[in-house]
Amino acid sequence: MAANGVSRSPGRLGGEPGRPAADGKEERFARRWRPRGLRLALSAVLFGYAWLAASTRPFTFMSLLVVLLPGAVVAGVASWGPPDRIEAPDRLDIGGFSWWLVIVAVLFEWEAAGFRDNSPWWHPSLTELVNPIIAPYPLRAIAFFLWLITGWALVRR
Amino acid sequence: MATRVITIIGFCTVIAALAVLEIVARRPGSRVPALGEWLGYLMRPRTGRVLLLAGWLWLGWHYFTR
Repeated sequence: MAANGVSRSPGRLGGEPGRPAADGKEERFARRWRPRGLRLALSAVLFGYAWLAASTRPFTFMSLLVVLLPGAVVAGVASWGPPDRIEAPDRLDIGGFSWWLVIVAVLFEWEAAGFRDNSPWWHPSLTELVNPIIAPYPLRAIAFFLWLITGWALVRR
Repeated sequence: MATRVITIIGFCTVIAALAVLEIVARRPGSRVPALGEWLGYLMRPRTGRVLLLAGWLWLGWHYFTR
């Protein structure tokens, strides 16, 4: 699995933290026996929450609360440990990782250039471009749902 | 107008590059770590975990509260 210094964890889909799957067969077993119905139900609950959260008006206490609540849940789960954490690699290939660094640095530079100019119409920041896209209610709910899923994905690492 | 279009094209190019890099990372034998792998690596120390989760929370506040 490991390729030229990139240590890829064999237990990416392992069922328990600290007990990675030994091989592909076990990995497939773990995937097959994951309670898919439960995951669908949880996704539905999260989407319901996102749908309600998207209805709050910006700059209100409720809009702050609907963001802080998942934050508190994620912080709690991160502190006490998620049920099925994905093993992180022990080391990274710096050559391969530098590609990510370069592109992320370019993204930040591009954003900072717009931010420095106070996001004028002719040089908008990413926020100025994204806000109109997620302004319609259904798209805002979908964006909120994606944000929740991202939080869960992060906490499993 | 042209400057705005250039800015938007710039953002689209960078985001496309991120997507391409993730695809390259998922190819067998790739030296490039996948997004989840290097994020997981950065989150190994407690400080990295706290910073990344704080960044995620800030993103939610920035787009959905403000």
